[in-house]
Amino acid sequence: MSKTIYQLVDELPTGGLTVMSLRALDFAVPGEWQNLVGFDNTIRAVTGETDPDLVRQIGERAIYLYNDKSQGYQTALWLYQTVDSASSALGAAALANKVGEKIPLLGFLGNITPKADKAQTIDLAVKLVVELVAFCQINGIPGDSIGDFLGALGDYSGESLMRMAALVCFDGLIPLGPDFIQMVLSRFSNMNPQELEQNQTFKGVNDLIPGGNSAGKLGFINQSFGSVSGWMSDFVNSRGLTPQNVVHNLSSFIDVADDKLDYLGAFLDVSTNYYEHTGIQTLARRLIERAVAEI
Amino acid sequence: MIFRRLRRILPAFLLAVLLLVTSCRAQDTSPYAKTQQESTQRGATPAVAKNAQQGGNFNKFFPKSADGYQVVAAQEKKGFAEYKLNKGGKNVAVLSINDITSTPTAKDKYQKSTEKIAGYPAAEAPGKGTGILVNNRYQVKVASRDDSFTKNDRVAWLQKFNLSGLAQLK
Repeated sequence: MSKTIYQLVDELPTGGLTVMSLRALDFAVPGEWQNLVGFDNTIRAVTGETDPDLVRQIGERAIYLYNDKSQGYQTALWLYQTVDSASSALGAAALANKVGEKIPLLGFLGNITPKADKAQTIDLAVKLVVELVAFCQINGIPGDSIGDFLGALGDYSGESLMRMAALVCFDGLIPLGPDFIQMVLSRFSNMNPQELEQNQTFKGVNDLIPGGNSAGKLGFINQSFGSVSGWMSDFVNSRGLTPQNVVHNLSSFIDVADDKLDYLGAFLDVSTNYYEHTGIQTLARRLIERAVAEI
Repeated sequence: MIFRRLRRILPAFLLAVLLLVTSCRAQDTSPYAKTQQESTQRGATPAVAKNAQQGGNFNKFFPKSADGYQVVAAQEKKGFAEYKLNKGGKNVAVLSINDITSTPTAKDKYQKSTEKIAGYPAAEAPGKGTGILVNNRYQVKVASRDDSFTKNDRVAWLQKFNLSGLAQLK
């Protein structure tokens, strides 16, 4: 049986690699993320309500909303979970590819494993689109309205902003370098639908990406990433984010040389699930906001 | 003799223990277990009533940004719409309208209260909120998300909604 919403929130870890990696990004989004865990605890923090009976009533309404499949919350959770586990598989492939490049004996691996950069650019763009689709499942703004999404993205805060910071740092800056936005844009401008279809991250969430066929989906991803690229580069520039200062902040628990950043990217990919972790926190927050307003 | 009987009984006994152990392990001891069970059983009441108003129909009745406050769209689901009220980039309150067809007990607090705002039944609501009930169906709420946003602010912002327009929404 799949977990209940209160189990998911109650069981969020307070330590481990995902939490440590996200804490290391506090310098990028100071004070935004406190790793709020526990279902009742989240209700109290979000609503300011302390009366136990009222907390219980809010929780019960939130559970009803979550369990009503037509409300989209379960789909959003599935998206956050799937894009994380899919990218973990990609992390293993990227690592194998790196071994292939370093050791000539295993050079043949290069023929069967996608180029790490190419897989990573698709991974980043697909994760961003998953954010857009999950946002719409949770908050209900129609799936094709990128304009509304941009307005809301500007208003992102807390764990949602931390998720975007992690996307930029762990899936952009570290594995692809400071020009990652341009890299994604130029790769997508001459990508064919078959290349997209072969990507593991895309395969995982394919069914929920708008656009009809693969060519349409490629167009949707391309357009979405293009629309958000301005916000992203502003985020990087205004906060002075570089691969070096991200690594510096991770170095308290990961020992890594500056010339091995693609290994670090792959390592973070396989060892963390920051999309799922912060996704559950976002989901719980919005669900609770709605529940308290409706009762 | 005893040994033979034991051999016959033992598998059944072990099976019973196994069933007991697995059923215990699946037991949900949370205080929410009953709600979970009720909301997922066959024929459970859906969270949102079929005939609830579309959330998109509420948008036009919300106040607009003014006096240094920004009103930012946050959620729009069937029977519900919510906006954030931000000041200086900080979230200070949330504004919402919902159709209580899906949550009929929401009405209780207005029936117990003698307060009125803009002529509508009003009451304090969970989560540092103040609500009014329009046309016995639409609950309009303002809830504080920062201590600087007081009850007076909530009452003032409730009056900025287009309440007479909402009252005519069928």
